[in-house]
Amino acid sequence: MGLIASPRFILYHQPSKAPQGAAEPLESKDLANSDELYRRLFRTTLLIRLVEERVIELYPSDRIQSPVHLSIGQEAVAVGVCDALRADDLVFATYRSHGFYLAKGGRLDRMFAELYGRIGGGAKGKAGSMHLSAPEVGLMGSSAVVASTIPHAVGAAMSFKRQGSDRIAVAVFGDGATEEGVYHESINFASLMKVPVLFVCEDNGLAVHSHRHIRQSYRLQKHAEIYGIASCRVDEGWDMLAIREASLAAVAHVRAGRPFLLEIATSRYMEHVGVGEDFHFQYRDRAAVDAWKARDPLVVDKALTEALRPELEREIEAAVAFAERSPAPGRDELLTDII
Amino acid sequence: MTLAATKERKAPTRVLSYAGALLETMDAALANHANVFIMGQGVDDFKGIFGSTTGLAQKYGAERVFDVPLMEEGMTGVAIGAALVGDYPITTHIRADFSFLAMNQIINLAAKYRYMFGGSMSCPMLIRLVVGRSWGQGAQHSQSPQATFAHFPGLTVVMPATSQAILDMYPKIIARHPGPVISIEHRLLYNLDFTVSSNAPAIPLSTYIAREGKDVTVVATSVMVVEALRAAQYVKEAAGVEAEVIDLNSISHPDWELVVQSVRKTGRLVIADTSWLEYGVAAEVCRQLMLREPRALAAPPTMLGMASAPCPTAKSLEDLYYPSQHETVDAILAQVRGVGHGVALPTERSMTEAFKKFRGPF
Repeated sequence: MGLIASPRFILYHQPSKAPQGAAEPLESKDLANSDELYRRLFRTTLLIRLVEERVIELYPSDRIQSPVHLSIGQEAVAVGVCDALRADDLVFATYRSHGFYLAKGGRLDRMFAELYGRIGGGAKGKAGSMHLSAPEVGLMGSSAVVASTIPHAVGAAMSFKRQGSDRIAVAVFGDGATEEGVYHESINFASLMKVPVLFVCEDNGLAVHSHRHIRQSYRLQKHAEIYGIASCRVDEGWDMLAIREASLAAVAHVRAGRPFLLEIATSRYMEHVGVGEDFHFQYRDRAAVDAWKARDPLVVDKALTEALRPELEREIEAAVAFAERSPAPGRDELLTDII
Repeated sequence: MTLAATKERKAPTRVLSYAGALLETMDAALANHANVFIMGQGVDDFKGIFGSTTGLAQKYGAERVFDVPLMEEGMTGVAIGAALVGDYPITTHIRADFSFLAMNQIINLAAKYRYMFGGSMSCPMLIRLVVGRSWGQGAQHSQSPQATFAHFPGLTVVMPATSQAILDMYPKIIARHPGPVISIEHRLLYNLDFTVSSNAPAIPLSTYIAREGKDVTVVATSVMVVEALRAAQYVKEAAGVEAEVIDLNSISHPDWELVVQSVRKTGRLVIADTSWLEYGVAAEVCRQLMLREPRALAAPPTMLGMASAPCPTAKSLEDLYYPSQHETVDAILAQVRGVGHGVALPTERSMTEAFKKFRGPF
């Protein structure tokens, strides 16, 4: 179906700049199974979008009492990156991590229970949307403080190296996070210590409502180069296949023992936090987002979307039902797991 | 202190400096636990964090003991990440003041990790801070942040006052404690010698009685425990007053019942802390006492701490800034005998001058 409906998405885009010393990004079996691959990635990407659309529907009911930072428009980044990882690789992400949680294999029912603040959530309701985690599938604790999990990925990767393991760790952050001091501390240390960490910058061009040009005096790849870190930028951030391909190359580089920066252009369709759009505030242009949507496979490939929608919606309904049934944590949880 | 010294056969009772106890426990941690590593600015240099890590990089290799760039927040975040995958990091700050650069990681991440993620993950690690005092440390090399850290649930904060406290607590912390621990060590203690025993009951990760007495309770922290013990000896000899000295030892999880029992017995209380009094350890001791035994005190308590100002560098001001032996003795005697106690006070006015000559309680 993907082959027919949207041929452009089965093409393997070359990364804008081939990473130095990277392994061959393409496996021949992928080409043979390209339709299957496209469908698999598309399915996960669509799942994330439909889950967040369900969050939007539920939000006015106040069942989800947690600030939500939706990744609608950015889902392909999570899907493309996580598909290039092994199950035992670790991802350290941000408050905008519904996408990474699901792409890394986190259970949907536990995610809804977590958003609902219920005991069945991954963190028994103590985390909510901003602190999703699923360590059983390698999604480590997400933080609401910008840039704060970047050194965690570096530390985990350093320990993997110390332990003689070939696992890698991935730090996921937005473009705004690169302005924080700890980003600089982290990439310097990672380069010095030669640790197997992949830095993934989700570049949506916005820090809350501030545009990059008023925030950054540097270009990220040039900046990483000064620290001796190889990098690659993917401009087609709507294309999970392109992102996956670039990620495979980046992961190979990292697993060989060197940090790597993957910068992926993307687009945040919704407001920074909350379930609405924010174009009426006029800090950004709707046309730019519309241009992105015009290339977004979840929008363009209507046939596959509609073909997959029923089963995904059934999954989501089951997960919501699980959350609804899950009890709220009681007083016994208030002072549990502190030390 | 040299590594060779740590290899000697340990007698049941021996004399060991604070720095020597630190070096022994760091050495033992690396020897006994393959997952332990030590990182911090200067841990592998010739000074070795005032002798507490000297020679360990040579003995265990650069993978286990290593210098880091100037990156307090990054280093602490790296430690969290390492802890999450099974390593046990020990990080150092040669002055506690530098740990303020790591506050985001310590407070927003390490302290929250276990709870915020529903108990599914934890980051056990040891963060060693050294509090400076005297020799012109000034405003940014002298702060003692125990109350600040103990304010945040999720952190375990200890202030070892003796070599024995280090020998007893650190191995347990490193081997078994499930979460991040901040140990606030005091620079004035590093060169002091203490008698340590392998037979005595181990000092717990909590509060203990350092000296028994019936007339007045002195609750102290860190170097002020040593000061309180010196003062207790003085008031016994000069006035026959028996002061009970309690080493609070754990700032985050003290044994409040032990404190209350002592005050119930003496009815008199002096609190001697290494930091400011406002919203600090002294305030918390009083809060706990008010909650548990509001009528235990026969008189208002006396509190000794740093003056309510940033620390001045000039020695003349610094000597006024910290409580001296003179003031500690006066506070104890005034509690027991009233302000007009009439007992001659020690002439010693500068505690740090005294500590230069003081060779330790043994």
